[in-house]
Amino acid sequence: MSHSANKLNIQTNSWLVRIFLSAFIGFMGLFILGPLFWLAIRAFVTEWTFPNLLPDGLTMRWWRVIADDGSLLEAIKNSLIISPIVVLISAAICLPAAYAFSRYEFLGRKTFLIGIFAANAFPKIGLFASIATLFYTLNLMGTILGIIIIQVLGTVIFMTWIPAAAFSAVPRNLEDAARDAGASKLRVFWDITLRLAMPGILVALVMSFLAAFDEAQGTYLVGVPTIYTMPTKMYALVLNYPVQISAVFSLLLAIPSVILISLARKQIIGGQLAEGFQIK
Amino acid sequence: MSKSKEVTVGDSLAVKKTARLSPLGFFMALPPVLVILFFIGGPILLAFSFTLGFTTGPNEIVALIGQEIYTKTNWWGTLEAYKSVFSDSRFPGNLKATLEITFVATTLVIVLALGMAIYQRIIGGRLATILVALSLVPLFVPVVISAFAIRTFYDGTGFFKTIFYHFGLTFPTLTMTNNAVTIGVIWTSLPFAILMISSGLQSVPDALIETAQDAGAGFMRIIATVMIPLAFVPIVIATTFTAIGIMGSFTIPYFLGANQPTMLGVEISNFFGPYNRPQHSIVMAFVIFVAASGIGFFYIWANVRSAKQSGRI
Amino acid sequence: MSIAKDSVGLELIGLNKILGGRTIIENLDLSVKKGEMVSLLGPSGCGKTTTLRMIAGFLIPEAGKVILAGKDVTTLGPDKRPSAMVFQNYALWPHMTVFKNIAYPLKIRKLAKSEIEKRVHDALGLVNLMHHKDSRPSQISGGEQQRVALARALVQEPDILLLDEPLSNLDAKLRVKVREDIRDLQRRLGITTVIVTHDQDEALSISDRIAVMNDGRIEQFSTPQALYDEPATEYVANFIGSLNRFTGNFAEGRIQTGDNVVGIRPEDVLFSSHQVPGSHAATVDLVVPRGHFFEVYLSSNDQKIRAFMSADIPQVGDAGFVRISKALIYKDGKLVKVA
Ligand SMILES: Nc1ncnc2c1ncn2[C@@H]1O[C@H](COP(=O)(O)OP(=O)(O)OP(=O)(O)O)[C@@H](O)[C@H]1O
Ligand SMILES: [Mg+2]
Repeated sequence: MSHSANKLNIQTNSWLVRIFLSAFIGFMGLFILGPLFWLAIRAFVTEWTFPNLLPDGLTMRWWRVIADDGSLLEAIKNSLIISPIVVLISAAICLPAAYAFSRYEFLGRKTFLIGIFAANAFPKIGLFASIATLFYTLNLMGTILGIIIIQVLGTVIFMTWIPAAAFSAVPRNLEDAARDAGASKLRVFWDITLRLAMPGILVALVMSFLAAFDEAQGTYLVGVPTIYTMPTKMYALVLNYPVQISAVFSLLLAIPSVILISLARKQIIGGQLAEGFQIK
Repeated sequence: MSKSKEVTVGDSLAVKKTARLSPLGFFMALPPVLVILFFIGGPILLAFSFTLGFTTGPNEIVALIGQEIYTKTNWWGTLEAYKSVFSDSRFPGNLKATLEITFVATTLVIVLALGMAIYQRIIGGRLATILVALSLVPLFVPVVISAFAIRTFYDGTGFFKTIFYHFGLTFPTLTMTNNAVTIGVIWTSLPFAILMISSGLQSVPDALIETAQDAGAGFMRIIATVMIPLAFVPIVIATTFTAIGIMGSFTIPYFLGANQPTMLGVEISNFFGPYNRPQHSIVMAFVIFVAASGIGFFYIWANVRSAKQSGRI
Repeated sequence: MSIAKDSVGLELIGLNKILGGRTIIENLDLSVKKGEMVSLLGPSGCGKTTTLRMIAGFLIPEAGKVILAGKDVTTLGPDKRPSAMVFQNYALWPHMTVFKNIAYPLKIRKLAKSEIEKRVHDALGLVNLMHHKDSRPSQISGGEQQRVALARALVQEPDILLLDEPLSNLDAKLRVKVREDIRDLQRRLGITTVIVTHDQDEALSISDRIAVMNDGRIEQFSTPQALYDEPATEYVANFIGSLNRFTGNFAEGRIQTGDNVVGIRPEDVLFSSHQVPGSHAATVDLVVPRGHFFEVYLSSNDQKIRAFMSADIPQVGDAGFVRISKALIYKDGKLVKVA
């Protein structure tokens, strides 16, 4: 996807390679897009009897079912309220730390960085089981606060590592130049440092939002049966409702991801995400 | 007052190491570390003590709710819970399935990602762009949906079943087998690996590849001796994160996997919830943790190595 | 040299700077007159940038004073000083247009919009960049970026302009043109200027005075002419221009045994086919064309010496007579006599 790097003059573009490549693209297209279309179609069909090649009929009925179902709407509402709060809290906790990791030398810096990584090496589901133990004691089971904490944990790595790399990439002399122009330290941070690190921070915000919005395992363990979010509702839907309802719900659930990642697409592919995962 | 060059260089290196330590930086970096210590480090320690049979204090409530809880018999605890898990006839199968799926899927993901990234880097063109763009699609899809979509695609009334039926053939039902789990984790892991590796390969300067070409190195040789060594750290990072992610996954095997044997992620959840055997559940979590730490070690080693090479340590 | 107080633009008194446990600048004094252009010249790592950063306020000296336009600014931050700096790689903000880059210092000073507009336009006119007003730094050439950085500094109407190797990223031809431009602007605006460079040509051609630095100290501070004609130390003599260096004494127009150091500029070595008083027999070993002059290697009485000649160039093997018109004699590195 990078147009900048020059392609090298290596001649392997024979017709054999082209055919193989086209076949491979066809295979990957089916492998990756197939399941998504196969599911999406179901949001608009009455029934689809095996082994017919076409569905029995088209309908928008399932969308109305969702609109009329209070519990489903409730899950959507919960998701839309909780995820932004999680992102804000995570940003407040992690962004100053990201700045510190990039700009200051302090005792335990490397240990902290590796600690944040190690926290991600523990299997999520096992971790949630362990956290549940603590949450019972703290009376956090079945509470919004409990869910928020669980979801924040999943965002910490994105919210510290990616912005830290972005801050590090801001040249120091651009800050010096602004100081020299008469700007105070705070103003320099605001006008120059933050502004130039913004693409990285944007990627971190998007990835964190999605991590929170899509989090299902921990939220399920802590929230169900009191509080449902969209992904945890999916678990219930899959077992108890017709597949068409799940399809509609899937489409709804995918909307934020598609919008947000499209917005940050250039930065994510541009290496901001990858850059963040190297310890420096 | 003339100093030799070496002395100057040595000095400034020593200087870097003892650079002013900033208390402000320390305190700014503290909040996420505290959050992790309190909500991840703490619970993990507590959980560890729980597996050893410490059933009082913060562990009291789980111990009360759960069944088949072993309580410590020595001052340091007891290994009864571990023995119970390891002697369970289902455990070896589950562990084997977990490790197998992790190994097979990680290998396939990295090979696919490397292949596509190298092709894009060296030859490029529209087809390569399409291929990479395609592989990034799963990034846009919440994992619950991926799992559900793949489940319907490969189930008894799925796409291939339907198509094959009209040719008078039978396509196997993959859903509810561990092959479907492998397909699912490959599907969800591909984008991160591609992003990581292709960004690593992009930063290999053209000049280095051209020099190798100039020296007469062929396509495969350039890949093996120039591109892979230079993009080594991103490749290791992609591999470790992919493997760790797959090993601890829950949603994909939960939706797609067989009942037995199943991945430990599902089993942990089953034992904690439906079976109400929290102690067993956490013992299994530690089994995965130990395996993941082994993989995580490579990640840290690769990072330290690259820091050393570029003189940052 | 005593200067009236109000004609001093910049004064550094006894500056000391320690970085990473090492003394980088040691007891440095410097006094720059108002409207004067002074170069800090020295080899890499001698502390030029460090000195400049102390003047600008990015570094606070361990001891000593920085006085700008009569005001002690030693401990003030860079934002509070009446100085403006042009950075080595220009440090233009990539997210702002050329116009916004130049307007930024004025925005900070909360000037009225119309006033900002007017002053930025004036500055753009001064550096001939009106047509690039709305370009981004990445869209303009290195020389143009350099001029934007200059305009951004000048628009602040600073009491003193600081330039850190402002030309090192330009090609040789552009470098000569831009340095003339800078000199020209500086004269017209009458702005006190300190410019850091390690290029002696650059320093010699644009400065009123040059401070030659070595290992955190100033070896000599004088006009380009004085620096060339009478280098106060052996170090300066070696650093500026070319030098034939001998150990010994200079007497009767030739090098005699002794324990001083004799430095002879190649221009001061005269070769001709006629004998005149004070000249000695010599032969030509090698002739190297150097563009607008020739470098001629001579030997006389087993001593090798280089001469720069631009007319009547001899052939290899020619015999003739060499005369030394000027020699610098150093004892313990210090100039003791010009013969
Ligand atoms: N932050 C720092 N910590 C430790 N040592 C430093 C620091 N900054 C500079 N130094 C050292 O101070 C000395 C002088 O550095 P300075 O940048 O002033 O040199 P310079 O004369 O500008 O050289 P150049 O022509 O290469 O730019 C160098 O030896 C450098 O290694
Ligand atoms: Mg410098």
